[in-house]
Amino acid sequence: MKFPRHALAAAVLASAALPALSQAPLKAEVIHWWTSGGESAAAKTLAEAYKAQGGLWVDTAVALGEQARSVAINRIAGGNPPTAAQFNTTQQFRDIVDQGLLNNVDAVAQRDGWDKFLPETVLQAIKVNGHYYAAPVNIHNMTWFWFSKAAFKKAGIAEEPKTFDELFAALDKLKAAGLVPLAHGGQPWQDGIVFTATLAHFGGRELYLKVFKDRDPKAIMGEDFKKVLLAYKRLQSYTDKGSPGRNWNDATAMLISGRGGVQIMGDWAKGEFAQAKQEAGKDYGCAPGFGPKAPYIIQGDVMVFPKTSKPDQIKAQQLLASVITQPATQVAFSMKKGSIPIRTDVDVSKMDLCAQMGVAAMKDKSRQLGNGEIYITPDQNGALQDVLTSYWNRNIAVEKVQKDIVSALRN
Amino acid sequence: MKRRSLAAWGALLPLAVIVLIGYVGTVLWTVRTSLSTSRTFPKDDFVGLQQFERLLDNERWQLAIHNLAVYGVLYIVAAMLLGFLLAVFIDQKVRGEGVLRTAFLYPYAMSFVATGLVWQWVLNPDSGLQNAMQQLGWKDFSFDWIVDQDMVIYTVVIAGTWQGAGLVMALMLAGLRGIDEEIWKAARLDGIPTWRVYLSIVLPMLGPTLATVFTLLAVGVVKVFDTVVAMTQGGPGTASDVPAKFIMDHLFGRANLALASAGAVMLLLTVLALVAPLAYARSRQKAQGGH
Amino acid sequence: MSKRKSTSLWARVGIYAFLLFAAAFFLLPLYVMLTTSFKSMDEIRLGQIFALPSAPSLDAWRAAWSEACTGVSCEGVRGGFWNSVAIAVPSVVLPILLGAINGYALSWWKPKGGQWLFGLLMMGAFIPIQVMIYPLVKLEAAIGIYSSLPGIVVVHLVFAMPIMTLLFRNYYASLPSELFKAARVDGGGFWRIFVQLVLPMSTPMLIVAAIMQITGVWNDYILGLTFAGREHQPMTVQLNNVINTTTGERLYNLNMAATILTSAVPLLVYLISGRWFVRGIAAGAVK
Repeated sequence: MKFPRHALAAAVLASAALPALSQAPLKAEVIHWWTSGGESAAAKTLAEAYKAQGGLWVDTAVALGEQARSVAINRIAGGNPPTAAQFNTTQQFRDIVDQGLLNNVDAVAQRDGWDKFLPETVLQAIKVNGHYYAAPVNIHNMTWFWFSKAAFKKAGIAEEPKTFDELFAALDKLKAAGLVPLAHGGQPWQDGIVFTATLAHFGGRELYLKVFKDRDPKAIMGEDFKKVLLAYKRLQSYTDKGSPGRNWNDATAMLISGRGGVQIMGDWAKGEFAQAKQEAGKDYGCAPGFGPKAPYIIQGDVMVFPKTSKPDQIKAQQLLASVITQPATQVAFSMKKGSIPIRTDVDVSKMDLCAQMGVAAMKDKSRQLGNGEIYITPDQNGALQDVLTSYWNRNIAVEKVQKDIVSALRN
Repeated sequence: MKRRSLAAWGALLPLAVIVLIGYVGTVLWTVRTSLSTSRTFPKDDFVGLQQFERLLDNERWQLAIHNLAVYGVLYIVAAMLLGFLLAVFIDQKVRGEGVLRTAFLYPYAMSFVATGLVWQWVLNPDSGLQNAMQQLGWKDFSFDWIVDQDMVIYTVVIAGTWQGAGLVMALMLAGLRGIDEEIWKAARLDGIPTWRVYLSIVLPMLGPTLATVFTLLAVGVVKVFDTVVAMTQGGPGTASDVPAKFIMDHLFGRANLALASAGAVMLLLTVLALVAPLAYARSRQKAQGGH
Repeated sequence: MSKRKSTSLWARVGIYAFLLFAAAFFLLPLYVMLTTSFKSMDEIRLGQIFALPSAPSLDAWRAAWSEACTGVSCEGVRGGFWNSVAIAVPSVVLPILLGAINGYALSWWKPKGGQWLFGLLMMGAFIPIQVMIYPLVKLEAAIGIYSSLPGIVVVHLVFAMPIMTLLFRNYYASLPSELFKAARVDGGGFWRIFVQLVLPMSTPMLIVAAIMQITGVWNDYILGLTFAGREHQPMTVQLNNVINTTTGERLYNLNMAATILTSAVPLLVYLISGRWFVRGIAAGAVK
């Protein structure tokens, strides 16, 4: 079949014009540390939402938060920055802001009204000098209490503890039944989580803020804080001999198999239970604290946007910031990640029991409390962790620990 | 003489450039940073020896240095001894030499991130050897060093030796196989027992090989990081911390470039203090006679 | 041709006993890794690390190679394989070559100031590499090779120089000096002696150097992550993404399988290199 030559030429010209008419997708290279199966599924929800609105997600995953952040920093320093990089809602990226190496997303924040639906603590972390330097992705609570229903049944505990004293009682009963009362992984960050939980739920909101936000030496050297430290050390007596060095998943595995009774760990533990096909409320219990007014400790992930003046990159950054904070994306992401959305004006009916508990707690502004790292620098947090993990593992006089904490949180 | 040096220096030029810019330059930069208050990025201020004071006051750093000394001595001795014995025994015309050699070398090939975790499992009283032995009937068997504050560093020695002895063996084997046949023939004629030959004749001849092995192991000791992180995370608590991990933690996790640099400088100075006298003695020895 | 006294029966037994004992110690972790890789996660959770798998399966292996999640994409560790090769070849050949030349120059020609150069180099070997990363990033960015294949090769070269030079320098120093004198009498210049005399004699050390450098480069993670650029990330980056996670679930069977897969290349090198651990190379040259 022969086509007339000019028709052919016209067809060629027309097809050449087509790409110019269709929009080139906004490429965004994103550095993050979501590498496990569940995290990958969560990251995919972001990538797909971004794609659906005209973007192209170029994935650069680097395992382990510290590693990923240092890659991002090195790339920024070397003049080859990604479009966006994952950080936490902490002071980690404060130095980068101070060096003027981040773009702000004020335009998106104003337009989408971030001030209206973001929790105070999150705003505190992402707003520096009145500018918005990060897009919040999710909210995690690092200090949930997890209970193994099988273990509790075996120890004859009828109800899950509703106060800290009841927690100690339950732990005693578990010990008597020959089970591991507190399934714990002895790694510094996990020891830190147990401390945060003790300070918040045993010491109370006011003391917590005095220690972390104000870093008040009088409060730290005081009687109330001493009692918190002693309660913290008491919890250590409920762990088993093999706990030092254990990965947190292996501790959760103890709850799953019914060998361990309680674990204090972040809401990502749900992923392990789900992997073993266990259900919240049926096989395991969860509590973000004790009582209806218990503090809900929040931290989470954010995306920062390295400085660039290329117009496409800026457009990509703003699109990404906007997509991430939209309600639909928020729910989809958090459902896969085990976290809760950054906004409470979303439909959470499809999320699991524990997540719904979390969102309900979040709605009460008076319960919101930031995780330590929101208030103190990474260096102070690290020094604090050194003191805590030493105290957890050794017999040190509690007065000395108080002094060490004062000097760790100084400067 | 001049022509001799010229050709040699010509060939050494790339190395000289690398040493000057890559190493000397970096050390100078690190020293400069250790005298500032740099956090995530280098800062231009000058605070004198403040970081070093903070370092010396730091309990964790003191423990790390102590651990390094213990680990260093034990690891070097164990790896050299085991590697030497393995090399000597394999050199005795054993069957299946190839298989055996690979069995001893494979630890070196594997990423310690996973093998370290395996060692953690094996040494953990709950899941590892202690548990297995007790299940087999030895109720009193106890091997819980890894969760013991004072003994944990020895577990790192065990895992480190496991990883490094194979390479020592390979180096020693290469050295052994470079020794002239005539030596063996002469020794046999003289009726000297084999073990004596090894001790009094072969070992001295392996001098340069031993020096290489020792230096390699020493470098490995000073930089030991992966082993500790994978096996014990520096724990329990901070009981098995080592300087390299301290430096890393402050460099990345705690965004404290200045303190990390101070740690690196102190580490380097410590090594210099130990090595310089040795090197000086060796160079005097060489100047007086010998190669 | 028997070269030494034939060892008595008891000595033979002792030798084999020692070697087998040692082999058991060395192979124990491999045993645990293999059995774990063939078990299911439910079985692993029970915590019996020495037990044989009750229903061995290759699922973890298949997943490790092509299905494990390393980020948004879930394609296992195979993606980085060719990148690792592309990085490894120049990063092994160049340092070994340079190391041999340097070792030869330093030990046989002994140029003035050579001791100082070597001393500085060895000092440099003791610096933790992480401390050197930031200055190197800035340096490479200034030259324009940051985040590229040449970028990572240069970095590997820099970090390999101390060990490679040390290996060859000490090895050549142990060879009889009559060889050098004889070669110069014969009228040999710097390069001629190197290529025609020294290089052929270096086989055992070339093998050892190759073993060390291939292992170091192939298993390197942090340098490839920082300097190679997104397009050339080595296999170890995927491996680390599979194994390590802060708050995600850990699939131990997958991790073990992935580790063994990734270390297959260095292991293969060890197996093949056996042929050259032959006696008498240097001795033959003396004659």
